[in-house]
Amino acid sequence: MEKTVINDSNYRIRKGKVIRTRQMTPHEKLFEIALDGGRSLDHEPGQFVMVSMFGVGEAPISVCSSPTNRGYFELCVRAVGRVTGTMHRLEAGDEIGIRGPFGKGFPIRVLEGNDLLIVAGGLGIVPLRSLINFVFDNRRDFGKVHTLLGCKTEGDILFGDELERWMKRIDVHYECTLDKAAPEWAGHVGLITTLLPGVHLEPERTFAIVVGPPIMFRFVIKELLAKKIPESQILVSLERHMKCGMGKCGHCQIQDYYCCTDGPVFNYSDIKHIKEAM
Amino acid sequence: MSSSQYVILRKDNFDGFISRLSKLQKLVAPVSKGHNNFSFEEVTSGEEVAVRYIPTILPPKKYLMPQRETLLEFNVSKGLESTPVVEHEKTTIFGVHTCDIAGIQCLNMVFSTRPRDFNYLTRKGATTIIGLECNDYCDEYASCALVNANLPNGGYDLFFTDMGEYFIVHVNTQAGEDIIEAAKFFEEAGDDQLKALASLREKKREIFKNEVPIDPRKIPELFDKSFDSKVWEELGERCIACGNCTNVCPTCYCFDVKDEMNLELKGGRRYRVWDSCQVEPFATVAGNHNFRKERAERQKHRYFRKFRYHVDKYHRLFCTGCGAGGAAEPAWLG
Amino acid sequence: MKKPKVAFFDFTCCEGCQLQVANLGEELLDLLGVIDVVEFREVMSEKWEGDFDVAIVEGSITDAHGAERIKKIRERCKVLIAYGSCATIGGVNGMKNGFDLGEIGKYVYGSSYHFFPTEETRPVHDVVKVDYFVNGCPIYLPEFKEVLKAALQGIPYHVPDYAVCVECRLNENVCMYEKGVSCLGPVTRGGCNSWCVNNGNICYGCRGMVSNPNQKGMKDVLTRYNVPLDQIMNKMGMYNRCREKK
Repeated sequence: MEKTVINDSNYRIRKGKVIRTRQMTPHEKLFEIALDGGRSLDHEPGQFVMVSMFGVGEAPISVCSSPTNRGYFELCVRAVGRVTGTMHRLEAGDEIGIRGPFGKGFPIRVLEGNDLLIVAGGLGIVPLRSLINFVFDNRRDFGKVHTLLGCKTEGDILFGDELERWMKRIDVHYECTLDKAAPEWAGHVGLITTLLPGVHLEPERTFAIVVGPPIMFRFVIKELLAKKIPESQILVSLERHMKCGMGKCGHCQIQDYYCCTDGPVFNYSDIKHIKEAM
Repeated sequence: MSSSQYVILRKDNFDGFISRLSKLQKLVAPVSKGHNNFSFEEVTSGEEVAVRYIPTILPPKKYLMPQRETLLEFNVSKGLESTPVVEHEKTTIFGVHTCDIAGIQCLNMVFSTRPRDFNYLTRKGATTIIGLECNDYCDEYASCALVNANLPNGGYDLFFTDMGEYFIVHVNTQAGEDIIEAAKFFEEAGDDQLKALASLREKKREIFKNEVPIDPRKIPELFDKSFDSKVWEELGERCIACGNCTNVCPTCYCFDVKDEMNLELKGGRRYRVWDSCQVEPFATVAGNHNFRKERAERQKHRYFRKFRYHVDKYHRLFCTGCGAGGAAEPAWLG
Repeated sequence: MKKPKVAFFDFTCCEGCQLQVANLGEELLDLLGVIDVVEFREVMSEKWEGDFDVAIVEGSITDAHGAERIKKIRERCKVLIAYGSCATIGGVNGMKNGFDLGEIGKYVYGSSYHFFPTEETRPVHDVVKVDYFVNGCPIYLPEFKEVLKAALQGIPYHVPDYAVCVECRLNENVCMYEKGVSCLGPVTRGGCNSWCVNNGNICYGCRGMVSNPNQKGMKDVLTRYNVPLDQIMNKMGMYNRCREKK
């Protein structure tokens, strides 16, 4: 058996360096990463990368920074498995392996000129932060922007400092609700669906973008349809465990679709009949 | 059929041909493992080859997509260094049945679709395929006529048909012609021999009848209607999730990607291994949520991958009618 | 970097798994390049009184003395690896649990059985927290090395949760049921690379059962191949008796 180097292999790793890290909560850590040679990751909001921890494995991780930051990109990672657990040990200066970006992100060209209703549940804020910051960096290209966030408890809120800045902006309507809150919490309490009735929107020119745990989709989408947002103007991002990122290994297959190449961002009208999707 | 593309190999030259072929490059062929089991293994003489065999324990796809293969080598002792690699070896596969050739054609489509899998494609380029015709059904599990895989339909370099006293061989590619030239055991096929082949094919049309009373073009539509059928639960109750059905399937190609460190923990390799959508953890994501927890859902997924999902993408059924899936399961779900 | 201190211990067992490790040969030297073995009865006479990083424990807990001793070992180590069927699932020692302890004591030791106090057999994790499991009777060395590397890297090792059949098929063995022999492969956890079947033996279930075995489906298989359920349950009982209690 011969062994040959294949430089054009799609399993080739791009080297990156961790520039900065920040422990966000006891379980989530933020990594700022620069690719070798100062090259831009050149991703679309909503795309993911495969992160290599050599000797441990690879894991798919959503990019959480906007492509408008060209010198670096950010990953916000919850330590739940072998790869993500090992990632949490990385500190500034450490090297990291990257493949990608992969998948279809949010259809920015379609969204431009329209109003946006962004609904994030829990970790759903991670891919959405990339979109939200992109929108802020190109704010006049979009119509009205509503951002709704739901978290379990105050301690689970990610990017809290940024959320405070969003609250102060005049060009975004932002609200946050907690499933369970301490008495001193001044904001909403209740499931994220309880925020939707208070949002005034023009359904025909609004795109709703929903990312959250599987259980959240069904309830939120029901409310959106009740608000007369057309099915084709609802976008979701689905989670699966991709192993190759190239529509081959089969792990992320959702009936007719491969989450890694056809998604992770899907138009609701394309997947509403896909029973395994949500 | 153009006669120039057909040659004859007399049976008494078969052993000479096989040993000559094995000297050109690595040669693998079906061999008997006892208990009516066969597998593709390296051979050097004609007597090792099982000319009559039923689907092998693993299909010959293992030469294009090995059970385990290294994708990347890495070293972490001085920063991160990694090199993508492919393992390959020039190989001739002799005696591939039409169902397995159809399976390889399916895999070719998958791995040639962008982003391309250069590991697979490198091995594809290093492989010579010599087909072998089934003159009759190999066992009771086969349904090759349903999917039109009982007759040769390209995908090979040479194709052998056993005519009793001799093999008649279709030379399909230059690579095949090169073997004929190098082996020197072949003679031009005469009209009588071509007629005999034509009449064998005619006879096959009588033997091989669509095994399932359905028009194969209607299958995807039928599957669309059966997503919520009770049949999946019945299958799930019997399935023991042994993964045999996917491992023996000529068109299954799912894999897992894993890392292995050397003992000194400084370097290692990333490799892929065959995986099966039938095993418990296959569709599990972080936090242990399993998107196909039930065996019934997993069996349904497998059948839909064969008869529905891939049809839109690759314009063909991903079942070759080999019957191996049904035969290989202890639970005989097929 | 300082090499982690590793100690090997045995409880109720045949010490066969230690022998496997000792049989690593040249690789044992590679291993000694990354770890510092401070106690290992099978290969060295030294005893270690201090703390250590990794304890590698063979054998089941079958009496009060063993339970006390394993608790003390747990206190002295950062990571505990249970290896071999006796330690991970109770193994053959579990057969005792199918009998009345007094009666079986009398049967084995005669009238002086009360000098040999005994308890129901327990796998190590029923007594103390176990961080890593290496199943098998004996352990399959390639898996042992994988687990040890995972422990040294501080990452979890997941014992494969699929049947031995998966790996057996990849190794192109003729299925034992096709040979007319019954085998526990379909319900036993893989990870051993179907070591036994590769060498002409059946699977005896030494790695414990998959997490979600299909009992009805397995019964169908036995009926098809004309294997009496009792025969399989007996085979199962050789290694898996401790499982029945829970």
